[in-house]
Amino acid sequence: MRRVSMTSNSRRHPFSSLGEISETRYWVYLLLLPSLLLLFLVVAYPTIYGFVISVREMRLTRPGLNGWVGMKHYISMMSDRVFWISLKNTAIWVAAAVMIEMTLGFIAAVALNRNLPGTRLFGVLILLPYFLPNVVAGHMWALLLDPRLGVINDILVRLGFLSSYKAWFADPNTALAATILVEAWHGFPFFALLFLAGLKGIPEDLYKAAAVDGAGSFTKFKLITVPMLKTVITAAVILRVISLVNSPDLLLVLTGGGPGNSTQVLSLYAFQTAYRDFNFGYAGALSVVMFFILMVFATIYIRLSRITKE
Amino acid sequence: MFKSNRSRRLAADILTYVVLCTLAAFCLGPMVWMFLTSLKPEADIVTSQMQYIPTHITFENYVAIWTQSNFPVLITNSLIVTTVTVAICVVTGTLAAYAFSRLVFRGRNNIMLGYLLIRMFPAVMMIIPLYVMMRTVGLVDSRFGLALAYTSFLLPLFVWMLKGFFDAAPKELESAARIDGSTRLGAMVRIVLPLARNGLVASSVFIAIAAWNEFIFALMLTTGQGSRTWPVGLQLMVGEFQLPWGVLAAGGILSILPVMLLFAVVQRAMVQGLTAGAIKG
Amino acid sequence: MATLSLKDVRKSYGSVQVLHGIDIELEDGGFLVLLGPSGCGKSTLLNIIAGLDETSSGDIVIGGRSVSNLPPKDRNIAMVFQSYALYPTMSVERNIGFGLEMRGTSVDRRREAVARAADMLQVTHLLDRKPANLSGGQRQRVAMGRAIVRDPDLFLFDEPLSNLDAKLRVEMRTEIKRLHERLGTSIVYVTHDQIEAMTLATKVAVMKGGYIQQLADPRTIYERPANMFVAGFIGSPAMNFLRGRLGRGKSGWQFMAKDICLNLGRSKEKLEEQEVILGVRPEEFKVVHHDIAAAFHGKIDVVEPTGPDTMLTSLIGGQSVIARVGPRFAGRYGDDVSFTVDPTSVNLFDPQTKLRITW
Repeated sequence: MRRVSMTSNSRRHPFSSLGEISETRYWVYLLLLPSLLLLFLVVAYPTIYGFVISVREMRLTRPGLNGWVGMKHYISMMSDRVFWISLKNTAIWVAAAVMIEMTLGFIAAVALNRNLPGTRLFGVLILLPYFLPNVVAGHMWALLLDPRLGVINDILVRLGFLSSYKAWFADPNTALAATILVEAWHGFPFFALLFLAGLKGIPEDLYKAAAVDGAGSFTKFKLITVPMLKTVITAAVILRVISLVNSPDLLLVLTGGGPGNSTQVLSLYAFQTAYRDFNFGYAGALSVVMFFILMVFATIYIRLSRITKE
Repeated sequence: MFKSNRSRRLAADILTYVVLCTLAAFCLGPMVWMFLTSLKPEADIVTSQMQYIPTHITFENYVAIWTQSNFPVLITNSLIVTTVTVAICVVTGTLAAYAFSRLVFRGRNNIMLGYLLIRMFPAVMMIIPLYVMMRTVGLVDSRFGLALAYTSFLLPLFVWMLKGFFDAAPKELESAARIDGSTRLGAMVRIVLPLARNGLVASSVFIAIAAWNEFIFALMLTTGQGSRTWPVGLQLMVGEFQLPWGVLAAGGILSILPVMLLFAVVQRAMVQGLTAGAIKG
Repeated sequence: MATLSLKDVRKSYGSVQVLHGIDIELEDGGFLVLLGPSGCGKSTLLNIIAGLDETSSGDIVIGGRSVSNLPPKDRNIAMVFQSYALYPTMSVERNIGFGLEMRGTSVDRRREAVARAADMLQVTHLLDRKPANLSGGQRQRVAMGRAIVRDPDLFLFDEPLSNLDAKLRVEMRTEIKRLHERLGTSIVYVTHDQIEAMTLATKVAVMKGGYIQQLADPRTIYERPANMFVAGFIGSPAMNFLRGRLGRGKSGWQFMAKDICLNLGRSKEKLEEQEVILGVRPEEFKVVHHDIAAAFHGKIDVVEPTGPDTMLTSLIGGQSVIARVGPRFAGRYGDDVSFTVDPTSVNLFDPQTKLRITW
């Protein structure tokens, strides 16, 4: 056991007793306690409670209905047409958005990494959408793509791509694609940011050595850039997938899942089940399923972060 | 194709600028359009002939959103929720980040991993139980309750970001201070915190922006005027009152103004912390 | 000023033991150098003495007072770090005086003490600057000033010279020696540089793998290394190791190998006829021109003049040997060469245990 040592020259100071504690091994617990306590309250307990809710009947509109229902919600989910549509849409939405964002992000990072005069300003401008609130981003794009006054419609008509204004979000054939475009606009700076950091970490000497060895731009890209960026790419993709799967914000603002479930995704479906129908039990079950889908990514994520740990 | 290295380089430079300008236009164009819309009178917005440059510049939309709706209340609520969130995160998160960065203890990696795993939790999954819990303790429709809910995903983020900044401050400085007569607490307060000051500011600003922008938690956990934040308020105004485009655009511009300002101030340190946190994590 | 004793100090991180029962006694005013390759545990040991790291077991006594359970601030020690660890936000003056400030010394006495330390280290003209505006050597001086100003029981130095360029390193080494002679405070000094160990120490602890390989004064370490690790680690170029046999000759014991026959000149010692390894320092080889007296016969492989001497690599019976010979040595690749060696200067090692055979 370590004892708290008091020395003759320790001055009387409001912090002095706390300071003495900081020299004992209890210090670390004191540092961790507040945040752990808080996270237990707002994360651990609600998570457990969330699992519990998913096997109960809980409808705020009908307080009489209450009690354990076991796997009922999970079983009814299997025959829920909307659930399967949402699952499919989630996959399409996430995959397409990540693909577009990654491409744009990579192009932006490569361009920024050339360090030409003015790139710092461009870097800031390109990063801006990432910090824009979803609510504003959503309405902004709704305005741009509006079927009556949308400027994008106007431009496309003027350029001859469209014969008349199009209701992008109202047409089931284009609604999902339009929301993906908006999401890509919002999310690609994240990839640009991480890729740029990754590119800056590649030693210039590698490219010089490859150039001396006679490698062309494409060979250098394939043999140096991509392998060196591998961890960054995977980390960025998984982080982004998690946040895309988890946040229904933009779709809630843009389409609310419509028209006719054509843009319905899991997170939005779960949220609406809770927020609109007050069917907490079923919403809970939906989010538990989402959680397990994400856990598959989580395992990959942990493995990869092990590799990059110092 | 190109005669010399120099002309090839020039071509690449031109291509780079073309790419950067296109991307910047893609990023900024929508925002500029929203800004232009906010300056137009309603008649010029709904006109059949698209008006690219506003012919009559007016601030009536800004006046309208500020005086004819409860926008000032919403903004005030958001300010309070954001401040409380940041305060909670700074007080508890700084201690945790310091422990992770500086102390060796059993279970350290597991706890850190736990903080990271929280990112995996679907927001919806947290919202439902949080709503039920907060209703039980009377924290639904309370600004403090909302801030508390925000810490569930912002505190881990803050801790990871700040840990990166703490890691960058040399450990030997702290050892030197302890040998010079400081306690661990003294060394942290006098040496490490001043060194990580920029990181502390950047991390705080980052979570402040996230709290300011947050929509889903706020939508579920606020039911009335007392605590409703601006994203929820704006969204509901669109639904309930068929908010005119110009007014909506003005509201959007007003609410992203603080974000842009904060971002401009600490953009450099924040980018650094964000990338470090994400790559290491 | 105080003595230092470490009693069976052990340290493990989880299941990995990094220090295995370290015992050291340092006399009052002594200069102990912890020497070893990276990862040998020397820095951990220093941190444990400082209190920055806890022991797993064992006791640390400074000036007769057990400090094992005291935090660093209560151990009355001072430390100079490899990176100097100057507080970047404070002026040089405040950096030097920080220890006194923490201990509540009055402003006047602090200023006086700082002025005295600054004068001793010739940094008085730098007192108003920030560490960022100092050169490497100046930072080093300020870091030392911060250590001496408090007049502690013990100075700890953690590889203080390894961030300096070669010329400055020699200069600061002399400075540290001068400081030690003037102040007379006990010092524990960690380094991987054997020259620093040889020039500064009154006592050297050569460490490897968490064990002390040998604890002795520099001369003994150099001339009578306890084992082949110490022998090979100290000295540059390193000691030559030659495989051969120990046998009885007409005039006593002899070391024999192909093209080598060295009379050890002693007959009575309790030696056995066995395989041994002969250790010879490069400077012990003397080139001779009359073959008969010579013990080593070989051919020149490489000749490397360094200025003050010439490094001569020769092949003797298939074994490569480096000799430090005079600057005016005139020989070329392929020439025959013969050496003698003073038999009292050589060491014998057991090829199995790698330990020195005492005789």
